[in-house]
Amino acid sequence: MSQKFVLGYFDDEETLMHAIEKINATGTKIYEVYSPFPIHGIDDLLGYKRTRLSVAAFIFGCIGFSLALFMQTFMLGLDKWRINIGGKPYLAWPDFVPVTFEGTVLITALGMVFTFMWVNEFFPGAVEKQPHPRVTEDLFVVAIKSEDAEGSDVQSIMSSNGALEVKEEEVLL
Amino acid sequence: MYESPYRRPLITGDDTTYKKISDDIIIPVEAKPTQWWYMGFAISLAFLALYVWAIGYLLWNGVGSWGLNKTVDWGWDITNFVWWVGIGHAGTLISAVLLLFRQKWRTAVNRSAEAMTIFAVVCAGVYPLLHAGRPWVIYWALPLPNTYGNLWANFNSPLLWDVFAISTYLTVSVVFWYVGLLPDLASVRDRAEGMKKKIYGILSFGWNGSAKAWSRFEVISLILAGLATPLVLSVHTIVSMDFATSVIPGWHTTIFPPYFVAGAVFSGFAMVLTLLIVARKAMNLENYITLNHIDVMCKIIMVTGSIVGSAYITEFFIAWYSAVEYERYAFVNRMFGEYWWSYWAMMTCNVITPQLFWSQKLRRNITAVFIISIFVNIGMWFERFVIIVTSLHRDYLPSSWAMYSPTWVEISMYMGSMGLFFTLFFLFAKYVPVIAVAEVKSIMKTSAEKYMKITMEKEKAEESAQHSHESHHA
Amino acid sequence: MGAHAYHKPAAEMFQVSSRLKRTINVLLGVGILSIIISLILAYTGGSHEEAGHGGHHAVNFDKTRFWADILLSNWYFLGLTLGGSVFMALAYLTNAGWSIGIRRIPEAFSTYLPYAAAGFILIFVGAAEIYHWAHEGVTDPTSANYDAIIAEKSAYLNLPFMIGRFLAFFAGWFLMTRTIRMHSLAEDAEGGFFRHKRNKTMAGIFTTFFGVTWAMSSWDFMMSLDPHWFSTIYWVNQFAGMWVAAISTIMLFSILLKRAGYIQFVNTSHYHDLGKLMFAFSIFWTYTWLSQFLLYYYANIPEEAVYYFERWAGFKFLFWLNLILHFLFPLLMFMTRDAKRTESMIIPVATIILAAHFLDLYLCIMPGTVGQAEAGIYSWKFILEVGIFAFFAGLWLMVVTKSLSKINLIPTGSPYLKESVLHNT
Repeated sequence: MSQKFVLGYFDDEETLMHAIEKINATGTKIYEVYSPFPIHGIDDLLGYKRTRLSVAAFIFGCIGFSLALFMQTFMLGLDKWRINIGGKPYLAWPDFVPVTFEGTVLITALGMVFTFMWVNEFFPGAVEKQPHPRVTEDLFVVAIKSEDAEGSDVQSIMSSNGALEVKEEEVLL
Repeated sequence: MYESPYRRPLITGDDTTYKKISDDIIIPVEAKPTQWWYMGFAISLAFLALYVWAIGYLLWNGVGSWGLNKTVDWGWDITNFVWWVGIGHAGTLISAVLLLFRQKWRTAVNRSAEAMTIFAVVCAGVYPLLHAGRPWVIYWALPLPNTYGNLWANFNSPLLWDVFAISTYLTVSVVFWYVGLLPDLASVRDRAEGMKKKIYGILSFGWNGSAKAWSRFEVISLILAGLATPLVLSVHTIVSMDFATSVIPGWHTTIFPPYFVAGAVFSGFAMVLTLLIVARKAMNLENYITLNHIDVMCKIIMVTGSIVGSAYITEFFIAWYSAVEYERYAFVNRMFGEYWWSYWAMMTCNVITPQLFWSQKLRRNITAVFIISIFVNIGMWFERFVIIVTSLHRDYLPSSWAMYSPTWVEISMYMGSMGLFFTLFFLFAKYVPVIAVAEVKSIMKTSAEKYMKITMEKEKAEESAQHSHESHHA
Repeated sequence: MGAHAYHKPAAEMFQVSSRLKRTINVLLGVGILSIIISLILAYTGGSHEEAGHGGHHAVNFDKTRFWADILLSNWYFLGLTLGGSVFMALAYLTNAGWSIGIRRIPEAFSTYLPYAAAGFILIFVGAAEIYHWAHEGVTDPTSANYDAIIAEKSAYLNLPFMIGRFLAFFAGWFLMTRTIRMHSLAEDAEGGFFRHKRNKTMAGIFTTFFGVTWAMSSWDFMMSLDPHWFSTIYWVNQFAGMWVAAISTIMLFSILLKRAGYIQFVNTSHYHDLGKLMFAFSIFWTYTWLSQFLLYYYANIPEEAVYYFERWAGFKFLFWLNLILHFLFPLLMFMTRDAKRTESMIIPVATIILAAHFLDLYLCIMPGTVGQAEAGIYSWKFILEVGIFAFFAGLWLMVVTKSLSKINLIPTGSPYLKESVLHNT
């Protein structure tokens, strides 16, 4: 669903950050900012909470660890078809360290990547929800929902604070 | 984050802009390949054909067509396996470890180094697969329920650990690399038209450059880096344990894990340098992969080379110190036995040549760096050959002593694996931006020559203003 | 975003507070008392008959324990001292900017080196008490003490050579670290890049020299305690242990100095970086530990596995505790980003790592010298062992804080100081 947005185009991250500070001062809610590369400190300006992806990583790690350890314990020690290897102990714990470690890493990494794709709604063939194709090149865009921008002077704030262009447009974001 | 303008620039040129970075790096993807590309690709394909032929011959005739015998039952196959896996270590080191250490020079080389990692691991994986003798039942190595009353895989075996380590490493490297590619694939998509736009559109998963996506992107990069760092250590550690858990003198030594890892990084960086020195020239990327990048990588080669050297000396000394007759013999035999030439080739290439990098002049001399990087690659191949063949060929029983030399099948497979590697690399260089465009942009303000000059002027002006201010007061 | 106002920090002088002085005096007092009691026990008590090791000879375990404790403390604080030096050398070599503001701390560590030397000379006095290879007649085939394996190694393991090596190592460490510190201090007045470049070169030379000499010192002082046993990774493991302890100490110094009102620019980003190093290298220590353990466990060659048998049979609890404190505890506590940035989390983790390092060295030293039956940790005598350690801790703190109080606490002349002050990740 396309919606009407006020879009401010910038060509430099420092002017962009400065303009965002000015917009924040008016209390207008910014919908999203688009940039060709990650900008240090922009999360705080936009009031984004730190993502909880690392919590997910910890959980995936625990799952991977348990699965890998259980698999080895079961197959070599608990299963009734366990193998007697030269009379050595069935459960030789130090030997399980490498595979347990690899299992933990594998499950965590895959789990994380799928979570990342999931929360961003990224998948092969997904339509890019971006205001302008040049945001992956050299354009920085501030997007404010038209309804939020109403009654405030964000448009003039942006133009007087270094925006190349400010316009209202219907886009899919 | 503030960075001193007195550091060496990582992007040279006086006209750097965000747009120019995109253009410089992405145009090779958009333009028709050059003649050089076609020529290189054709040669690679020829070697690839040799590879296919040699493998076909091997499968038809069996492992007996290799030069292995009952005493030396690991030869060029495992040597090449370890060599390739080792080369596949620099990529993850650059993209993961250096990310955690906030090394900005990483941005220019991580993409290609990691691609190289993946291709090298693919080349490596083929060897144990074929060495197993019957590759069509390789799934027996996996812990699958089966018709023999669930005869499970043996998790006490380092060879099985290796199966897990290598496959995990390959998987994680691929996803790490691909996640990092998303913004750049989107960049190619947004510049392209028609069919190309569609394909890159599918490949870029809908990347849109929003602040939220970037924020998550940065976190997941750090998490994957945090996972990949111990992973990259574990992989060569486990490869080393294929040897070190045994009781064979020359193999069974506790320094093997870290020493193999250092050796892997050493050879990996050498291969990265070999490739990038050519690629930066061929693709006009000298402004992004600068002499400063090469300088730093040479230093890493020097450090890891010294670690490897100190491990050689430690092994050698402890073999004497152990007072175990077999240990002592194994190391004397390496130096002065039948395979003395491989030992001295290894020592010369791995211990002596990297020490040349103490000289800054040499580190910044492209030709010298290129030659030394090739020496290191050769040296690291010989290291594995020394470890494997010289340790095996003198068995405990003198009646079992034997010699080993490769047949044409092994030699062709080795040369052919390079064909596979370079074919993949040429395809990569053609279809994917070889430098992480977005990451290079993110360091432009702090590390591009142009902007560093501006900062320097500003700081000088501030300083003199402060100075005159102070003297006024006085 | 470049918008931070930069105020160049002015020079600061550190003053040893009366509280710190008191702490040091208490440590020294307790230490001296423990040493006196240990000496009385050692040199007045009777001796036990020891069977085994081929011959019968009288062993006074109180004596052995005393010297083993002296070795432990000396090795511990030599590790912290050299660890600091390696830290400052690596900072130069890697062009690190963030750590410049706290560089005076590891620089001060290096001034303990002469005291460390004195401590090791003391060890040579008692060498025969702890080093089996230094016993009378071990290399003499006609002697009852003859040990064929040690005789094979005697070209390396003999006191004159060892003392000679030690003096050479020490002279090198002393001269190089002194030069680095001298240049660093001179830079305060001069500024510019000249001293910085000089130090970079010196750091390269020092690091190389350190690598070789640390390996050999580990063999000499630690591995040769079990003279039949050998392991190629041993010195790497010793390095990992001392390095993580040294970083923890630098961390504690930074926090305490900041709390005392100095180096105010130090912020959570500096803690985060040091914390990441602590986290990573405690894992690295475990990695080297496991490499040695797993390979010897797996191959199960009696000559090698005996090392772990001794530690497993008599010190099982400590064996596990070591792993928990040295590995599991930092791993779990320091996993999140916030933990590495919070002083109230860092202080316990750093302290535990320092304690775990003691325990680690205890497990390296005691089984091969006094053995399980006589190890102090199973009796009241452990108080004496901790007391002896306290003496060296007090001495170390005294020397380091004193030299810290004599110089400008902030390297105001460093060309990259601004990066450290504005450090923000």
